[in-house]
Amino acid sequence: MAANFWTSSHCKQLLDQEDVDKVPQADSDRGITPEEFRLVKIHMSFHIWRLAQQVKVRQRVIATAVTYFRRVYTRKSMTEYDPRLVAPTCLYLASKVEESTVQARLLVFYIKKMCASDEKYRFEIKDILEMGMKLLEALDYYLVVYHPYRPLLQLLQDAGITDLTQFAWGIVNDTYKMDLILIHPPYMIALACIYIASVLKDKDITLWFEELRVDMNIVKNISMEILDFYDTYKIDPQRGLPEDKIAPVMNKLPSKA
Amino acid sequence: MEKYEKLETVGEGTYGKVYKAQDRATGQLVALKKTRLEMDEEGIPPTALREISILRLLSQSLYVVRLLSVEQATKNGKPVLYLVFEFLDTDLKKFVDAYRKGPNPRPLPTNVIKSFLYQLCKGVAHCHGHGVLHRDLKPQNLLVDKEKGILKIADLGLGRAFTVPMKSYTHEIVTLWYRAPEVLLGSTHYSTGVDIWSVGCIFAEMVRRQALFPGDSELQQLLHIFRLLGTPTEEQWPGVTDLRDWHEFPQWKPQILERQVPSLEPEGVDLLSKMLQYNPANRISAKAAMEHPYFDSLDKSQF
Repeated sequence: MAANFWTSSHCKQLLDQEDVDKVPQADSDRGITPEEFRLVKIHMSFHIWRLAQQVKVRQRVIATAVTYFRRVYTRKSMTEYDPRLVAPTCLYLASKVEESTVQARLLVFYIKKMCASDEKYRFEIKDILEMGMKLLEALDYYLVVYHPYRPLLQLLQDAGITDLTQFAWGIVNDTYKMDLILIHPPYMIALACIYIASVLKDKDITLWFEELRVDMNIVKNISMEILDFYDTYKIDPQRGLPEDKIAPVMNKLPSKA
Repeated sequence: MEKYEKLETVGEGTYGKVYKAQDRATGQLVALKKTRLEMDEEGIPPTALREISILRLLSQSLYVVRLLSVEQATKNGKPVLYLVFEFLDTDLKKFVDAYRKGPNPRPLPTNVIKSFLYQLCKGVAHCHGHGVLHRDLKPQNLLVDKEKGILKIADLGLGRAFTVPMKSYTHEIVTLWYRAPEVLLGSTHYSTGVDIWSVGCIFAEMVRRQALFPGDSELQQLLHIFRLLGTPTEEQWPGVTDLRDWHEFPQWKPQILERQVPSLEPEGVDLLSKMLQYNPANRISAKAAMEHPYFDSLDKSQF
């Protein structure tokens, strides 16, 4: 790998599961449970993803935006930082950092188009710019994020199972509906996705895994988490969480003044 | 911004003024780099944001100028961003100038050249190890602490994390004198080699106290290089004649490199020649350069 994850700020910022799951005080005061906290993050990851489809950015930009979004809520409350504004703002910042800048007015245009029926999701350019500055402080300007995509391609090549690329790539995409990127090194996430893909597609690569000398328990645990996630939420890949499931949770959050 | 007392303006950066200032609480000297924000339009310029994020990524190396913090402020109702860097008293250009001009012109001490080059290689290796190309290495961008004999890479404004797949870069990047031939010839797929070429030019300049290839246009720059190293051929650099800006150039034979750097010891000339290879793929890496015999006489434990 040309880029060195191990000495990066991303590596130093990896968190424990419990730190990630912890509901900020202001939010739990509003009656938001850990499960609901998770649901909002899933829902807003979809929001980012759908918005990104409209403005046409690379997968990497989406992944970085979702990572920012999830990182923000390990430090700030949803009560104070409205996720409906934080999500597009993260996409805005990620597009700048990943060198495929999307203009704020374009984002605002597509948000209005996408969320025509729900004005709580609609914001002006000024809102995004202001939130952008607040998020940069919240993220302390640590903006370079490493993703599993590159190690994934290298590892698939090494294992000689590049025919699984599309399938495994899709699983990596799905991991951004979870907080894995805040907790595990990207290549471990990549390995877990390869593991799942190889099992589901009946490719025996046990020997290859053995030669890697990684802690297979961790790989398997991450894989289990991913499979559990699929099992628990059964999310429609196009529509995201069903409205009746997410609406009551979103209503617990204060909407813009 | 009350935390800092501005002492003087020390320069004009890519995005705004640079001030020397002092932390009121600790007395620490800092360089404040002001970034004007066009908030009505699009918030922080992406170039500035990229610089900040790359600096955040690389700042833990001793050989990259340290970004201490980022401060948001408003001035005349407009948002302003200050990048707070550690302060160093001079840069390599001024440092070398002092040996060339001034009351007592003399060559740079051999051990200083060796030490600075080693630190430069170490800093560049650190950048490259993180997937970041500097793309604008030049003596003005290398800050020097004269007392401690430390050299640090600054101004990563044009730095860019190189991710796969590599996409085309724009052409107007490196200051001409330190610009690699593949950039001058319009190659769109350049890599770490562009920085190594610059390191080679800087190395030679420390020895000579003047630039090795002082071109004042892209063509002149190429001709300077060809006149010394010979006009490149397909044999030594496969694909060179297919580069966008390749023309039929006058055919020069390579000159003897030692003559350009007569005071440099043979190992140094060898290292320099490995940095100035035409084929970017054959150019020595920053990491390999640190292991070159030229540095055998250097006490590396101090770095």
